[in-house]
Amino acid sequence: MARRTCAGYNSLVSLSSQTARVKVLFFGRLKEIVGHAEDSVELPDGAPIEALFSHYGVNHPELARFRASLVASRNQEFAAWSTPLHSGDEVAFLPPVSGG
Amino acid sequence: MNKSLQPDLLALVRDPIDHLTLIDHVRAAEDGAIVTFDGCVRNHSHGRRTLYLDYEAYESMALLKMREIAGQIHEQFPIHLVAIAHRLGRLEIGETSVFIAVSSAHRPAAFEACRFAIDTLKRTVPIWKKEYFEDGAVWADGEMPPAPLETRAAKPAS
Repeated sequence: MARRTCAGYNSLVSLSSQTARVKVLFFGRLKEIVGHAEDSVELPDGAPIEALFSHYGVNHPELARFRASLVASRNQEFAAWSTPLHSGDEVAFLPPVSGG
Repeated sequence: MNKSLQPDLLALVRDPIDHLTLIDHVRAAEDGAIVTFDGCVRNHSHGRRTLYLDYEAYESMALLKMREIAGQIHEQFPIHLVAIAHRLGRLEIGETSVFIAVSSAHRPAAFEACRFAIDTLKRTVPIWKKEYFEDGAVWADGEMPPAPLETRAAKPAS
């Protein structure tokens, strides 16, 4: 599979394995830490959301500090960190919500 | 009359919320009560003077979650219609950030459903506010939405 990424560094996988491309969204203080609101990442098909989050921790170690207070979503639904990801999925890391 | 003809109104808006439009949306001849909640920007937070707020949302998911809330209150309370609008972007002191209107034949259902709607919105809808003070800005302390139970082998990053 072709290896195309938005930012060059953001691939979790070697060239040979079956891969999935997912869209990643950041909000609130996470957006400020990562430096952008949206990303596109290639990762092994079926990799859990947790692995995707760890991927960003490599370049942004301060993210780990927020892990315990985050909730993840997959395709606009709250999702367990163990949820496997597949091509076309949209993942978001959501800080505690404060609407209203 | 067919109550299902008119749908609930759920919206994220960037302009000032028009309260009367939302109230009129839920008003119908068979209703004896409309209860509203007007959430507005307070001029202080944790003892500091607030200058203004800035709201952002995961818009597609926020609308889905707002629709879920509407579905929940229809299931749990004998109401007629609900309208919920949340504003995004910069809001000044006193402006409405969220407005909810619920209509029902009798007032208890509308009161209870309106309370349930705002409490659930604040816990489950992916919207965030940043508070601007004279000496800086912070993301407001929020509530953690109820996360799905982890299956096996889920481990927090260390």
